[in-house]
Amino acid sequence: MAELRGSFGEARNHLLTRWFGTEDLHRLDVYESKAGGYTALRKALLDMKPAELVNEVKTSGLRGRGGAGFATGVKWSFINRDAPGPKYVVVNADESEPGTSKDRYIMENSPHMLLEGIMIAAYAVGANQAWVYIRGEYDGPHRMLVEAIAEARAKGYLGPKPMGVNYPLDIQLYRGHGAYICGEETALLESLEGKRAQPRSRPPFPAVKGAWGRPTLLNNVETLSTVPWIINNGGAAYVKFGTEKSPGTRLMSVSGNVRKPGVYEVELGQTFRHVIMELAGGPPDGRELKVFWPGGSSAPVLPASMLDTHTDMEALAAARSMGGSGGVIVMDDSHCVVKAAARLLRFYAHESCGKCTPCRVGSDWAVRTFDRILANEGSQVELGILERVADGLQNGRCLCGLGDSAGWVIDSTFRHFREEYEDHALRHTRARWWSRRPSSSASRSRSSATTTSSTRSAPAVSAWSSSPRDRRAHRQAARRRSPKEWW
Amino acid sequence: MVVKTLSPMAVQARADILEFELVNHPLDCPVCDKGGECPLQDFTFRHGYPTSRIDGPRLHFKKPIPLSENIALDRERCVLCYRCTRYYDEVAWEQELTVGQRGVQSFITSQFDQPLQSIFSGNIIDLCPVGALTSRVWRFESRPWDMTHTESICSKCAVGCNVNLWQRRGQLVRVTSRENDDIDEGWICDRGRFDYTDVNDPSRLRTPRINGAKATWADALATVSTGIKGKGAKLGISLPKDITNEEAFLFKRLLDGPLRGARVKMHGRTALPAPIAATLRIKDLDAARVIVIVASDTESDVPIVNLRIKKAASKRGARLIVIHPDGVDLDRDPNTIHIRNAPGSAAAEVRKLASHRLLKSAGGPIAILYGDGLGSEEMADLAKSCRDLADAVGGNVMPLYRATNERGAIEAGVAGWDPLDGIEALLSWGPPPTAGIPTSVKFMAAWDHLPRPENEKADVLLPATTFAQRQGSYTNLEGTVQFLRPPIEVVPPLKESWEVLVELGAALGLTLDYAGIFAIQRDAAAAIPALAALAQPPSPEPAPEPVLIGPAHP
Ligand SMILES: Cc1cc2nc3c(=O)[nH]c(=O)nc-3n(C[C@H](O)[C@H](O)[C@H](O)COP(=O)(O)O)c2cc1C
Ligand code: SF4
Ligand code: SF4
Ligand code: SF4
Repeated sequence: MAELRGSFGEARNHLLTRWFGTEDLHRLDVYESKAGGYTALRKALLDMKPAELVNEVKTSGLRGRGGAGFATGVKWSFINRDAPGPKYVVVNADESEPGTSKDRYIMENSPHMLLEGIMIAAYAVGANQAWVYIRGEYDGPHRMLVEAIAEARAKGYLGPKPMGVNYPLDIQLYRGHGAYICGEETALLESLEGKRAQPRSRPPFPAVKGAWGRPTLLNNVETLSTVPWIINNGGAAYVKFGTEKSPGTRLMSVSGNVRKPGVYEVELGQTFRHVIMELAGGPPDGRELKVFWPGGSSAPVLPASMLDTHTDMEALAAARSMGGSGGVIVMDDSHCVVKAAARLLRFYAHESCGKCTPCRVGSDWAVRTFDRILANEGSQVELGILERVADGLQNGRCLCGLGDSAGWVIDSTFRHFREEYEDHALRHTRARWWSRRPSSSASRSRSSATTTSSTRSAPAVSAWSSSPRDRRAHRQAARRRSPKEWW
Repeated sequence: MVVKTLSPMAVQARADILEFELVNHPLDCPVCDKGGECPLQDFTFRHGYPTSRIDGPRLHFKKPIPLSENIALDRERCVLCYRCTRYYDEVAWEQELTVGQRGVQSFITSQFDQPLQSIFSGNIIDLCPVGALTSRVWRFESRPWDMTHTESICSKCAVGCNVNLWQRRGQLVRVTSRENDDIDEGWICDRGRFDYTDVNDPSRLRTPRINGAKATWADALATVSTGIKGKGAKLGISLPKDITNEEAFLFKRLLDGPLRGARVKMHGRTALPAPIAATLRIKDLDAARVIVIVASDTESDVPIVNLRIKKAASKRGARLIVIHPDGVDLDRDPNTIHIRNAPGSAAAEVRKLASHRLLKSAGGPIAILYGDGLGSEEMADLAKSCRDLADAVGGNVMPLYRATNERGAIEAGVAGWDPLDGIEALLSWGPPPTAGIPTSVKFMAAWDHLPRPENEKADVLLPATTFAQRQGSYTNLEGTVQFLRPPIEVVPPLKESWEVLVELGAALGLTLDYAGIFAIQRDAAAAIPALAALAQPPSPEPAPEPVLIGPAHP
């Protein structure tokens, strides 16, 4: 068993990770005998009605851990259990958010906890079939889930009569294709259906028209893994943890410049100082904390001065950020915020699915503008472009959250680190007349920088034929082609 | 609900999006076929920022790329609005057009880079809000504002889609759709859109010829009249599929008079009998709950009706029952019930349907569409069985005529289906008979617009007008009479078709005293009840419609 990096063992706030670290916890018999596994499923199937399950989850106040933080019980109740025809549960295990690895932590340590949660959810919403859409790169967790599902089938928990109750259940695995956008719920459904992963417009929401046009419950791995605890201990017990509006605990994946990166289970309402400085050990010796992302790369950044922000969603919203996926990315003072923002923007530009104009073009335009600023060719114009792009990406101009996230990166770094941007763009610049001269080395290096950046983000098809050599090749090729060939 | 379109937020959002659209746009408007009628230009003019801050390199793609014989794709101009792919998917039910790559590198592409096959492909040219999809037939012909357009009717099949015919310097340069919700809903098929270049053929016939030598109209028509007069059943008349109602009426007068007894064969028609009672309208398909399609591959027979059927099925939940020996494109609806009959047995299958579960509890109107199975079916029997089925289950029928004016010609009484073999004289009106010219023919007169090998045998060759020059009207398959508006002038020595027929009548000794088409239309309307609409032809120049609505200064 691999070394555990994060929470495990007995502690008041270890609801999910209490038994992590137990030898062979991923085996069904160990999970049942030592961790009290599948008691919640038994209770749900034998003693409770589906409506009671939904109510219990509603009472618990559990909120989705995938990103948006939507109330889970409410989401469950949106599905009309009595409507004729099949209904589905789809589990979002695509976990592609930079700096997030909590779902993997669960699937690698206690895959049966997830399966139990899925089965309870399926029973609650009237589904007989569930899919786990798992990130393509997650080889290990995929293997563990395959084994766990086989065990559950052998034991009869998955099958025509789980626990002797006449309610057929089955779980299928589906491996993702390596795109961040596949984690967005509607794009995930498209991908699951075998199509190009592009978000659908909502409404209709998946609860009404999801996978293959059927009502579908879509939840994150951590969300569903919390369900067995809630069913075992009751929703009222769950509310005792955390804050009033964000009850419970959540897994926070702390990464970056900290001494003990790992996945920590944190009671909501604790401060980030506790998470970063105490649990994760703070930045390495001689370094100061500079900036952190409180909820994965998609959440607006917070500066070190806001370390005392609380981890619950309301406090984060008040700090103009969000809880997101719970991935805490920490950077110390050896890093440049502008460069970090540029890197993240490149990620978003690369991962944009191409459906909405602001996200498709804006993120790429921002990358090119960042490139210029970082090549010391910035000016007030570049800063203005970044601000305009950031603005154009937000406020519902895009179909899914990816566009907003890209905007937030620029927006929040601007808000907290404007100085640094101005340093880069206004004070590090070379004299304008020099950099703008057509054949100067500066402008050549600019275009080749653009070439490399875009080839890195998408090698195959189109090319920025902006370098003189490219253009010459283009012209020659055009000349070789007789005009008749096409026209 | 109040939608604020002029709030600062909305105004800025529009400007922002437009700025984004132009970041990678090649801005080759001066040489773009869409320039002048391009929504991107119009919107940028109206809503965009007045200055540009875009000075970096732009994204380049190989361009233009041929998507098919007729359509070119310019990926740099594409704003990735996904209209074309959505149209293909939702309206045409084809899977040929898709998107490659992702993010800013996304581009439209045909599936596996194969040329587009669909007969509905051309509509994406009209749909595309920029010059990314352009017609290769019209490419670089002219700027849009250099053309004039007239509202006319497609002459290629019996659906009668409304089109705009675009003229420049006496040439027909473009055909585009013109929305008529009762018939085409703004779609036309590729036949209607691209099949027009013969109009501009430089080798078009312009003067009458007798045995190959140029002649005057008077001499030519006199020769024709001696050649065909008094031949009775030894005279054969071949008519084209797009004969106008007016021509049909004049032919009827000739056939009742000097040419009595001649054998008439109308080409390209289905041989479906005349409708007995009122038939279904195309727009009624929208409300149908069950649509039965018998013995017709609607995609090739009546393309735009096929799109209506698809809309009824995919947008309104209608169920489809197809009776056809082979696969058809309506099978792409997984709920389609396809009964594969042996050719010739469609009528029997229709009779069996009367007890079909779907038809007994349709829950709404039932539409029964029938074609001729390309001649494989016994037409009278099939028409009767469909009418009986409609009566039994409470639906209505729509005979799917194929020839452009088949229904009008039937009403006028000239839609003959007589075999032409054994005739001695032939009057070929339009393209020559498809079965070839019978060997027994001793005298042949042809009225055609192109020189063709068959026409070389003609003793008299009369130059014909095309659909872009002809005045008159068509009756479409549902019985609606629609008027052609010729965009191109008839320049002498070319003559209007009705004029030729009137003069031929005179040469044959029949007084057809018409000085213009309106008089013919009035007489036809009085003589043939189904053509009563001819009495009120629309004004030739409809009032121009305003392009922009709303206040001048928002
Ligand atoms: C661009 C984008 C990527 C996302 N990626 C993930 C992901 O990797 N895993 C995840 O659980 N949710 C992801 N989400 C959130 C999901 O859309 C969805 O809100 C969530 O899975 C719902 O589950 P929950 O209610 O349990 O939180 C993503 C959202 C966006 C906009
Ligand atoms: S915001 Fe970006 S990723 Fe999301 S749908 Fe639009 S283009 Fe695709
Ligand atoms: S309709 Fe035109 S602009 Fe829109 S996606 Fe298709 S090619 Fe691009
Ligand atoms: S469906 Fe018929 S009338 Fe309509 S555009 Fe096509 S050929 Fe012309």
